[in-house]
Amino acid sequence: MLVMGEVQTGLLQNSGEISESACRQVLGLMAGETVRVSRRPIVHALSPERLTGVDCALPTASRSRIRGVGTVVTRCAVTGGRVAQGSTYVRVVRSETDRRLPWSHYLARPGVVEVLGKAKAADLAEGFTGDPAPGCLDLGAVSGRFLDLVQASPLLDRRAPFKMARTSLRWVAETGEPSIRFTLHTERERTLRLTHPGPFTPAVVDLCEDLALHDWLLTSLLVIVERARIGATPGAQAVARLAPAVDHLLHLWMPAARVEEWLTPFWESLERRPGFTRQWRSLVDRVRDQVAMNTLALLTAEAGRR
Amino acid sequence: MLVFAISDKGGTGRSVTGTNIVYRHALQGNDVCYLDFDFGSPTAGAIFSVSAVARGTRDRNGLHEYLRGECPQPRRVDVWAESDREGLRTRPPGAGRLVLLPGSEGGGELSALTDELIGRCAQLFGRLEEEFDLCMVDVSAGRSFTAELVLAATVRMPAIPFRWLVFHRWTRQHIIAADGLVTGDDGLLDVGARFGHDPEVLRDRIRFVRTAVLEPDAAELVGLRDEQRAWLSACDSELRELARRHGVGRTAMLGKVPLDPVLQWREQLITDEDVLASKIANAETAAAFDELAKKIVDDSAWEGL
Ligand SMILES: Nc1ncnc2c1ncn2[C@@H]1O[C@H](COP(=O)(O)OP(=O)(O)OP(=O)(O)O)[C@@H](O)[C@H]1O
Ligand SMILES: [Mg+2]
Repeated sequence: MLVMGEVQTGLLQNSGEISESACRQVLGLMAGETVRVSRRPIVHALSPERLTGVDCALPTASRSRIRGVGTVVTRCAVTGGRVAQGSTYVRVVRSETDRRLPWSHYLARPGVVEVLGKAKAADLAEGFTGDPAPGCLDLGAVSGRFLDLVQASPLLDRRAPFKMARTSLRWVAETGEPSIRFTLHTERERTLRLTHPGPFTPAVVDLCEDLALHDWLLTSLLVIVERARIGATPGAQAVARLAPAVDHLLHLWMPAARVEEWLTPFWESLERRPGFTRQWRSLVDRVRDQVAMNTLALLTAEAGRR
Repeated sequence: MLVFAISDKGGTGRSVTGTNIVYRHALQGNDVCYLDFDFGSPTAGAIFSVSAVARGTRDRNGLHEYLRGECPQPRRVDVWAESDREGLRTRPPGAGRLVLLPGSEGGGELSALTDELIGRCAQLFGRLEEEFDLCMVDVSAGRSFTAELVLAATVRMPAIPFRWLVFHRWTRQHIIAADGLVTGDDGLLDVGARFGHDPEVLRDRIRFVRTAVLEPDAAELVGLRDEQRAWLSACDSELRELARRHGVGRTAMLGKVPLDPVLQWREQLITDEDVLASKIANAETAAAFDELAKKIVDDSAWEGL
């Protein structure tokens, strides 16, 4: 029917970026399975997947009660040794029967939730990306808990260079005529509706995680620039407040770096509108201009003293 | 930084002082949140003038429900957006976020400590600490499960910095009681050690705050007879000596807040407007909150005793 997921993204709670080997340890939530690391163009570490069993109501726009049983898949990622993500998704399918089957049935279908009774994909998709009623399947809560585990790793010193809220991206993917819609809700909540050609593959999850990562980077840079109060505070002070962005964020922007070829048109469409990279560039320029102007002012003052 | 606000006795000024400190800290440009862990009477909403949660939230999404595992995330109130007070409803330029996590109306005190409860509490603290420069937790008065809860939760997160403020009035009974709450049987150090804190380290993370202090040279006392002033002075030095003996003296004190006519009549935030425009509050009171808001994160004020 459809696939739905939620990615939570936050600043890794450590003073500096962590090494590849530290990433492996931080993400080794499950013994016996290894963390996958890719190094180019940016170090990206992905944890093994973990399953969570669920038997609960699914969110629907019509508020009709639809029961789903099965398991959801969660994985965590660390990008550039600096940004952490918890990502949970589930394929929602119709059950062959109207009653709940033994757990062995569901365990044989990892990452699948079967819907008992009648349900429409559109109702579920709108329910999930709309305003889910309390008590429904909450993939964000699952992602958040796994992200907490990462952030609580004893390898991290918890002295992050700045405070930043996590963002959440709730997404729904369906098969059909290609389209993508990214929506900002509250300060911290975003949704994504994606229709892709061909059957679902985990590459779609990679795409959603990549979008969530870049949305978090952009949101964080906006917050840091706002906190700097450029123009309202002395230049040196504004630059000092911008410094954490220069030190920890600016080099992380690598849109679509890990997205499979056939899905890159979706990123490109978002680049046209709303234009992630355009906004990022203009912010980065603003930060760099401030730093340059402040340096110039310091040099001029220095020359004046001589 | 997590800051736990406690007092031995009720009605010492813990909530009013704590809320005013976070308010000042937000004005100083920091993102702050205030957690109403005074489960028996969650009234922080009233002090921030958010009438919708004046006595806690009614929507089953307060800190009670969160800790009991009945809602995934506790409600957050953006004070700059939701306060009924005109002077609070716009975020001043340069100020950080000011967020209240209300308790639940009719929630009641905690009746037991469970492992799940401690886990959820630690999870909440961990998440808020990612996001806010300062999280102030109103732990309620006296020895309570709530105090045990936060002591147990902080043991689980050794890397997260935390501090305690013990509020007390400037009287004999209050000084002795404040000391007892820290060093007495079942006091913070005692219980903290039981949960796995190092008492010496914990001791260094506790400071006292004197509330509603009437200085012998205060303007309020101008009309007094010489005999009365002399008597007050003598009392004050006696109290200082008593405080020193009980480890509640100057070195262990983070600051003091003068008695303020506005606060005597009403639990509220003291804004600059109250001091400068309507002139109902004393400038010294606002200055004391401002000073405390700085000292709370100033490491030199927290060096070993
Ligand atoms: N600096 C001050 N000057 C005058 N009155 C004050 C001052 N600080 C607090 N008060 C008043 O003292 C009373 C008790 O204060 P508050 O409610 O903050 O205490 P509390 O310790 O939180 O009490 P409880 O234990 O009941 O929660 C209130 O009426 C408050 O307005
Ligand atoms: Mg109170």
